Amino acid sequence: MIFFRRFIASILCVTVLNLSSPLVAQAGVIGTLQAVESQHRTADLATVNSALARDQVRAQLGAMGVDATHVDSRVAAMTDAELRSLAGEIENLPAGADALAVIGIVFLVLLILEAVGVLDIFKSFP
Amino acid sequence: MKLAAHAACAIGWLWLAGCTASGPRQEAFGETDPAQVELEATPFFPQSEYQCGPAALATVLAAGAVDVTPDELVPEVYLPARRGSLQVELVAATRARGRLPYLLAPLDDVLFDELAAGRPVLVLQKLGAGPWPGWHYAVLVGYDRERQSVLLRSGTTRRLEMSVRRFLWSWQRGGRWAMLALEPGELPAGAEMDRYVDAAAGLEAVGKLDEATRAYRSASLRWPDAALPWLGLANVAYARDDLTAAQSLYEEALARDPADVAARNNHAEVLLQLGCRSAAALEIAVAQGHARGGALEAAVTETAARIAEATAPDAAACPTPARDANVVDGGARPE
Repeated sequence: MIFFRRFIASILCVTVLNLSSPLVAQAGVIGTLQAVESQHRTADLATVNSALARDQVRAQLGAMGVDATHVDSRVAAMTDAELRSLAGEIENLPAGADALAVIGIVFLVLLILEAVGVLDIFKSFP
Repeated sequence: MKLAAHAACAIGWLWLAGCTASGPRQEAFGETDPAQVELEATPFFPQSEYQCGPAALATVLAAGAVDVTPDELVPEVYLPARRGSLQVELVAATRARGRLPYLLAPLDDVLFDELAAGRPVLVLQKLGAGPWPGWHYAVLVGYDRERQSVLLRSGTTRRLEMSVRRFLWSWQRGGRWAMLALEPGELPAGAEMDRYVDAAAGLEAVGKLDEATRAYRSASLRWPDAALPWLGLANVAYARDDLTAAQSLYEEALARDPADVAARNNHAEVLLQLGCRSAAALEIAVAQGHARGGALEAAVTETAARIAEATAPDAAACPTPARDANVVDGGARPE
């Protein structure tokens, strides 16, 4: 069973590695996105290694609970600039949806107001 | 647990929605926009716990006739360890579904212009503070100038009315991030060339060549003097191995901006591949002149080296080495 799993895992590894980079960037020509970026930004961006960023983001997504079968398609849909912006920053960038945390704040505010004496809503509970 | 979460969510939203603004009236709405807009046909997907990213994205995609549900998007945009979705992943997933993710300029009236043009807008809000930032995605579907309010598809609320002041504050704190999911070829109300071509180039970069082509083509019509849309069309042709088409499209780009380094470099590369070494050498020399000290210098130097190494004689049908836009139309594909 273990051997079988290892076998599957190694096959997956190979496929995943093959899938890793989009094939559109071809030798010789400068991509449109690269041309656009070169007009906006300074050259230092070019020194950040996109391939490295890609690997880093892939590893981070996996470590953060994204199913292995989806990691590659997610990475493949990102541009180099996006990958560079994510690499190392996934922990810190805004992640929309924390609705419950907002509720936490609402209660916190209510509690503070209660404690300060502005509100009087929790007294009705025994 | 889920029920409790939904109830808490609803209470939170009621609370947030209830605090309407009482401050001075402000004119966030565009002068020419109608007094009231509500895009009622915009679908609504109530979010599951933490999953407003997939829900909000599904809303704007489905509004643009993409057949998708939040559940299908969860594996594409949800990040379990963060219990949320990142902006970049919403952009990427939009691309993966064949739509053009257009990031709006960070201005209030731009949002309302798009609503007036009938497009729902995906926005990021920051509703909390400190350790609870409360990042939240919602979809703007309307506004009412008289009531000074906006309408959102948000969380578990189909039609959340929020004071425009409170909304704009939360949007401001969220970094003024707003995205449209456009059908490629469709232009936003206040289209800016750089933003549009940037988004189109993103489609090209991930291999969505048909979608990128449609976007570049409408950009070339909307901004007839701009070189970038033609560079994009040429690069797509090159990616499809249609060298002859690519060559004349690079000519179109260069006719609009003779100093465009990328177009000049790529034109040289294509000439080389067509077997026209002399013409390529002339082109790359010009590119090198423009590229000096710029971000593309290394790429141009590399092309120049490759051209210098080439030894094959020019193909019979090569263009005369003149850099006039109209000269090369005869086609120069070697047999």
